[in-house]
Amino acid sequence: MGRLIDALPLDYTDSVVLVGAVLIGVSAGVLGSFAVFRQRSLVGDALAHATLPGVCVAFLAAGAKEATTLAVGAGLAGLAAAVLIVAIERTGRIRPDAAIGVVLSVFFSLGVVLLTYLGNNGDAGQAGLDSYLFGQAAGLLERDLGTMGALCLASLALVALAFRPLKATLFDRQFAGSVGLPVTALELGMTAMLVVAIMIGVRTVGAILMVAMLIVPAVVARQLTDRLATLLPLAALVGAAVGATGALISESSGQPTGPVIVVTGFALAVAAILLAPGRGVAWRAGQALRDRRRAAAEGVLLDLETALHAGPPPTAEELALGGGRSVAAVRRALRDLDRAGMLARDGERIHLSRAGAAAAEALLARRRLWSAWLEHGWRLRLPDAREPDPADLRGSLGDAAADELERLAAAGGER
Amino acid sequence: MSSALAIVLTAGLVATACGLLGPFLVLRRQALLSDAVSHAVLPGIVLVFVLFGTRAPLAVIGGAAVFAVVCVLAIELLRGSGLVKADAAIALVFPVLFALGVIGVGSFASGAHIDLDSTIYGEIAFTPFRTWELAGVEVPRSIPLLAGVALANAALLAALWKELKVSTFDPEFAQVNGFSPRLISRLLLIAVAVTAVTAFESVGAILVVTLLIVPAATAHLLADRLPVLIGLTLAIGWLSAIAGHATAVALDASIAGAMGLVAGCCFALALLFSPRHGLLAVAFARARRRAALRRRLGAPAAGPR
Repeated sequence: MGRLIDALPLDYTDSVVLVGAVLIGVSAGVLGSFAVFRQRSLVGDALAHATLPGVCVAFLAAGAKEATTLAVGAGLAGLAAAVLIVAIERTGRIRPDAAIGVVLSVFFSLGVVLLTYLGNNGDAGQAGLDSYLFGQAAGLLERDLGTMGALCLASLALVALAFRPLKATLFDRQFAGSVGLPVTALELGMTAMLVVAIMIGVRTVGAILMVAMLIVPAVVARQLTDRLATLLPLAALVGAAVGATGALISESSGQPTGPVIVVTGFALAVAAILLAPGRGVAWRAGQALRDRRRAAAEGVLLDLETALHAGPPPTAEELALGGGRSVAAVRRALRDLDRAGMLARDGERIHLSRAGAAAAEALLARRRLWSAWLEHGWRLRLPDAREPDPADLRGSLGDAAADELERLAAAGGER
Repeated sequence: MSSALAIVLTAGLVATACGLLGPFLVLRRQALLSDAVSHAVLPGIVLVFVLFGTRAPLAVIGGAAVFAVVCVLAIELLRGSGLVKADAAIALVFPVLFALGVIGVGSFASGAHIDLDSTIYGEIAFTPFRTWELAGVEVPRSIPLLAGVALANAALLAALWKELKVSTFDPEFAQVNGFSPRLISRLLLIAVAVTAVTAFESVGAILVVTLLIVPAATAHLLADRLPVLIGLTLAIGWLSAIAGHATAVALDASIAGAMGLVAGCCFALALLFSPRHGLLAVAFARARRRAALRRRLGAPAAGPR
């Protein structure tokens, strides 16, 4: 650890904070993913608040502000809160959100009472216990990094070892139970891992901001992949990147580390939600726009083909009139078709090029095949019951079945 | 007015204002929105201070309310994208608003004694000393403010009782019958935001969050009908206020914390001993069913064949 810190081209304190932020990012990213998929994202919030009474009790017991004792107290209180949340949910009457809310507010109230009790009873050493909640990155020591790194590695190893049972429990509880996995123990284990992640991070970034650290990497990674085995390393990577970027920005701007990390992470999450390929909001909007333009171009292509059969080559205005479209829409579609080399112009009049004629023919054949599928599809003996892909019927049905459909359509449904 | 009375009355009014809305939040599974809102208002308070240089209650409440609404709408927007679940949307939005607030305090307001725990989030022990003069009488300002909010919430419930009820229990049915569940949900959340913000200023965030969630969850364990549920919620809220104050005085500890603890004890008692949904009742019922089943299986001749 020491060599790593010396190797970084930053001064000592900044390097320690940077390494700490990366460690928090990695562990929170992986361990938080499980909470996100169980739709218990806010359990982290409750557990982080629940550390306050634990810290107070640990201080009462030890009589001094000793980092390890406080961390153990925080961890035990977090664990107790986690068990209580699960127990309250089990009654069935109280929903997860209310269970989390009750545990959060009661534990925090207890913490506040203990804190003021300590304060009023002349224990001057208690001052600053509540900084546990707001977090202080600058207070990070190299010694803490060793502990954090060890906890992080241990929990990651645990996830890797128990990956398959964890996955089964996560996505299909009933199945996992029926094949004999200890579902309740695994779920408690997942929550315990959350407690560990919070213990690693809460002193540095603070309780409230820890919530974001647990969620952001999973949300970002989820937009980029559908597989848990890819998602977990990706979330670790995202967590590390967010931690490192946030720490660097905070060092160069002089702002507190925790909040800057959270704002960085939020920006990344929003970017992922907007832009993720295949899923993102902006990406889907762009796809819808492209689909609409293609459909318009195909419609105009068919209109043009029909018009060419009926009489002399039409102008754009005549096409618009014949097809019931606006002139602007027809012109845009014609531009798209022109770019694809499907048109041959004769002044204002429009012909199909050879490629255009072939494209129109193929399009018509496809539509005929689709009508045949709707009308005669039930007669086919298909190897499985899957619905074929409407965009590529021939490809998904296979040539033999498609030919059979065309034969049936030509015969008017007679066998 | 004695200060003990002022404190208990203030807490009771907060319990009333929160108790009218809390049951709906719990039933709609949105209990944690109150916690989210309680953190998300920080940038509003800082912004008001930076722009106008004031910490006057109405200005602060206004600024905070704007950010509470921003928080709620941002959560809905993220959820509406269909890419993140409701809980993750909450967990994404409120920490970032809180973080912006912390950065704001650090950059602009550090010289001005905005201190995260007490000044911004209020401290119920100070309520008797912050007074307004109404009709020649010195009144703690929290009392008219909170009474106004409680009345407004009661008016909201009275005006939209049927709509709230139907959209809480059966949103599809509400939609089909021409009530917009979205609109009603927004109204409710805005009411929660305004209530929370007003109450933070006088009693502190943690007590507000506690009083919004815990009494309603406790009553949910005891009652099956909505009017009973709300009545019980109010009763538990007032009980927490009165008993919490007594406990705090006895222990010489935080008043808000002690009120929260009393509410928590009520919840624990209800969880164990509720006649229908309590852990003991459920365990007894299960044992009885098991015994009955065993009897029937053990004596097949007696049973109908």
